[in-house]
Amino acid sequence: MNLVAQIRAWWYAITDRTRVHQQVETELQFHVDAYTEDLIRSGATREDAQRRARLELGKIETQNERYREAIGLRLFDEIGGDLRFGLRSIWKQPAFSAVAILSLALGIGATTAMFSLIYAVLLHPFPYADSDRIMDPVVINELNPQQLRWFAMTRPQFQTLSRAKSIESLLGFRNVNLEITGSELPEDVAAIYLTENADSFFGVPALLGRGIQPTDAQGGGQPIVVLNFRFWQRHFHGDSAVIGRTLQLDHANYTIVGVMPRSFAFNDTFGVGDIYLPRSLLHDSTNPPIQWPYTPWIKLKADVSTASADAELNAIVQQFAKEFPERYPKQFHLQLQPIIVPFEQNTGHTLAMLLAGVSLLLIIGCVNCSILLLARGAARQNELAVRSALGASRSRIIRQLLIESLVVSFTGAVLGVAASWWLAKLPFALSPGSFPSESFIRINLPILGFSVGLALVSGILCGLAPALRLSRRDLAHPMQSSPQRIASRGNKRRIHILIAGQIALTLLLMATAGTAMGAFLHLMRAPLGYDPKNVMQVGIVMHWDNPADWNRIRSRADRSAFIEQVRQKIAYVPGVLSVAVATDATPPNLGRDETFEVLGEPAGQQQQARIYFIGQQYFSTLRIGLLSGRIWDPPENMRGDSVAVINKSFAQLYWPHGNAIGHQIRIPGLQPVGSLVATSSDSTGWREIIGVVSDARNNGVDMPVLPAIYVPYTTLMAPYAQFDIRTQGEPLSLLHTIRAAVASVSSDQQISNGAYDLQEAIDRDAQWSKQRLFSVLFGVFSTMALLLALAGLFSVVSYSVAQRTMEFGVRLALGASRSHILWIAARAAVFSVVVGLTVGGVADILAGHLLRTWMGSRGSGALYLPEASVLLAICAMLACVLAARRTASAKPIEALRYE
Amino acid sequence: MPNLVELPQGALEILILKAISLGPLHGYGILLRIQQISGDRLEIQQGSFYPAIYRLESRGWITGEWGESENNRRAKFYRLSPTGKRQLKAESERWVEMIGVVANILKLSAGES
Repeated sequence: MNLVAQIRAWWYAITDRTRVHQQVETELQFHVDAYTEDLIRSGATREDAQRRARLELGKIETQNERYREAIGLRLFDEIGGDLRFGLRSIWKQPAFSAVAILSLALGIGATTAMFSLIYAVLLHPFPYADSDRIMDPVVINELNPQQLRWFAMTRPQFQTLSRAKSIESLLGFRNVNLEITGSELPEDVAAIYLTENADSFFGVPALLGRGIQPTDAQGGGQPIVVLNFRFWQRHFHGDSAVIGRTLQLDHANYTIVGVMPRSFAFNDTFGVGDIYLPRSLLHDSTNPPIQWPYTPWIKLKADVSTASADAELNAIVQQFAKEFPERYPKQFHLQLQPIIVPFEQNTGHTLAMLLAGVSLLLIIGCVNCSILLLARGAARQNELAVRSALGASRSRIIRQLLIESLVVSFTGAVLGVAASWWLAKLPFALSPGSFPSESFIRINLPILGFSVGLALVSGILCGLAPALRLSRRDLAHPMQSSPQRIASRGNKRRIHILIAGQIALTLLLMATAGTAMGAFLHLMRAPLGYDPKNVMQVGIVMHWDNPADWNRIRSRADRSAFIEQVRQKIAYVPGVLSVAVATDATPPNLGRDETFEVLGEPAGQQQQARIYFIGQQYFSTLRIGLLSGRIWDPPENMRGDSVAVINKSFAQLYWPHGNAIGHQIRIPGLQPVGSLVATSSDSTGWREIIGVVSDARNNGVDMPVLPAIYVPYTTLMAPYAQFDIRTQGEPLSLLHTIRAAVASVSSDQQISNGAYDLQEAIDRDAQWSKQRLFSVLFGVFSTMALLLALAGLFSVVSYSVAQRTMEFGVRLALGASRSHILWIAARAAVFSVVVGLTVGGVADILAGHLLRTWMGSRGSGALYLPEASVLLAICAMLACVLAARRTASAKPIEALRYE
Repeated sequence: MPNLVELPQGALEILILKAISLGPLHGYGILLRIQQISGDRLEIQQGSFYPAIYRLESRGWITGEWGESENNRRAKFYRLSPTGKRQLKAESERWVEMIGVVANILKLSAGES
């Protein structure tokens, strides 16, 4: 067969219908005329000849149908007819259609949104080529397998590792904080040095310019820099003329050669870089020399299994550990972790939970659509009976009904996909920390395919039951019987089963939403113990890598004086109310865990407490109340030793009767480590408890407060410090002035990038944002579900009332009371609601536990089933009564005249 | 009058191909020629004649062109396309072979089986 000719024939028959039909008619007319002439010539009268010709050849007008059938367009024409019919019936019954389409649009929209989220977060979160083969090698301490560590390598080690057989490509990187200089104030910038194979390793084309290439290694490293998208937006306002300009870093000039696309945000483990530099710039003359410039990311060869790669690389890294035993745990093994793993662990359950929610919503939408189609179908039995009597086969009627429901579902899908684009972004906005920074939502082919599939499935799902039911032959009899419509029992039963199911699912969703909201409310109401409003945290990293600067802060006294000087300068900034040093001490979850000893208590139990290094202004700045005793004074603060303040939890643990003051504690872990950390003379010695403060959250917003010990920050000082700053108004707006104040102490001293508002930190808290995500989304889901269920209920009662108008008229005429009529009209629906509530309640008790575990709500396990049931019951009754009232209020005569 | 023969499935199409292989013809002409060649012994269902032509045309075996008929009216003339020519050849061989086989079987007398 010649396919081109076939398609051409179809094409003309479809697109140029009129002309093709004219030609077919002209041709046949010619034939008829020629035949007639011949018949006349052979002796027939003209009339006779014409009649015979027409009899043999058929009507000219029906020839078109023969033509279309002959070239194989029959199915197309029939389906087209069904489609037109479907569209017309949507148009003719706007209320029905709006509810049906909206039911599916909500379900399909929400499910598509969730799928695009899952696609962006779990299926395709990384922009890298072959990202499923990229591994993050993790060192697992065998004595404490929960503890994951990464390792860095020296140059010879890196070369050894890159020769491993299972490795296709090895990336080495090193995160370093640099400073943008050359402008008015120094600015902190997160740099990542990348081995020069970066471009081919990632396989991500640059948005502008180019990425880091092997030639950048020449001459001890070319002074070039590639920008991260967000940094480019922030610092250069997305200026595309930036390529070729210079960026001054630590007083050296670098040429900007490229900007990476938005999806590239290497990497989440050590912090996303603002800028990327060639690794060769970290040469031996870097001061102080960085001995461990290579943290690895590994791209495995395609045919290598993770197990065999693990084995090979483990052997190599064990060798490294023999060279530098102090850098590795005593017993460990290497594990290659696909880079997606951390996110699967963090977000897998969240997404599963949300997916369960949207699936429920979709099912409710489908059921609703089914109910509507069935209810409407009851009113359409006459039409279907006529079709069937005219010779439509059952399969033809099923097809027509299915196509009608597909028209509804595809219309719904179009609306749903449009809505999903917005919906899918909601989780990112509500819970930004839960997702890889590289994933962002876009509508693409797989997602469109998914929603088309969803539309198909839901169209068939909600259309099939009604189609099968309504196409049955035995339903054809209404046409022959009297005009009054008797809805079949089976049809009604089906509707009521569907209603009960829908109510049950809605209840399940509402109860889950109740739990989510309850948990979030609980979280919101729980006292923090400190006041985060108008407080921000600002950090500085001192210049330990520059000998001149280093000498000025090397000794403990110089360093504490420097920190105090910076603190005072910040305190003078107009609008700042109070400033406290709070190194690693900003609530709700910073702090360092150490074991401690209490003088006079057996040292046997290894109890841990949170240790905070703070200045004496800390408690007043964060508004944490002093319960008893006192806070240390400035001289004690500078000395660092022999004083400590504890929180209430700590005091209650050991001195429940309130006599904690005066006892002695000791923290052995506060010993000096490394050359960069300065400690007080007796940092691990005994300290007297001089004060007890009230509890402030220190283990996240939803966990009980841990026992805490506060010591002066001068006890142990790394070359960085953090400040909690309380301001009069919006704190971050003072950042620029504070930056200037810090630079006035030492002109090169920048403040670190991560300055943040403490209120925002709570919003970003993993548990907090997760609970908020659940409560908002499930609130939305269950509201949608409730509206759908009510719309379904309302329309079912309305339809059944409309069908029984005459019956009600008779009843009224015979003296039935209106309330009785109301009850008759609504009772079947009421009964199914009651059944639905019961089933839903049981399901919630059975499945709810699982859902709540997934939600991870620790705060309150309260059940919201009763509240949800009552709310749903009231709404459902209202819907039934409102729909039924229309009839009950009809006048008997009018009702009787109705037919 | 000779006995009328009803055409088996698919035969009409090959007859149409054969008829126009001798020269372009319009629909009525094809019908006449088939009847003429067969000595008016073929019963051609009017209802299935045009659909067969439409099918052949949509498959690209024959191509139609509008022209003037012998009595100066617009008529559609069909001619064989290259595909049609090949098809006619292949189909003819198949028919002849099949007829030969069937005929041979039918010719067998009882004793020979």
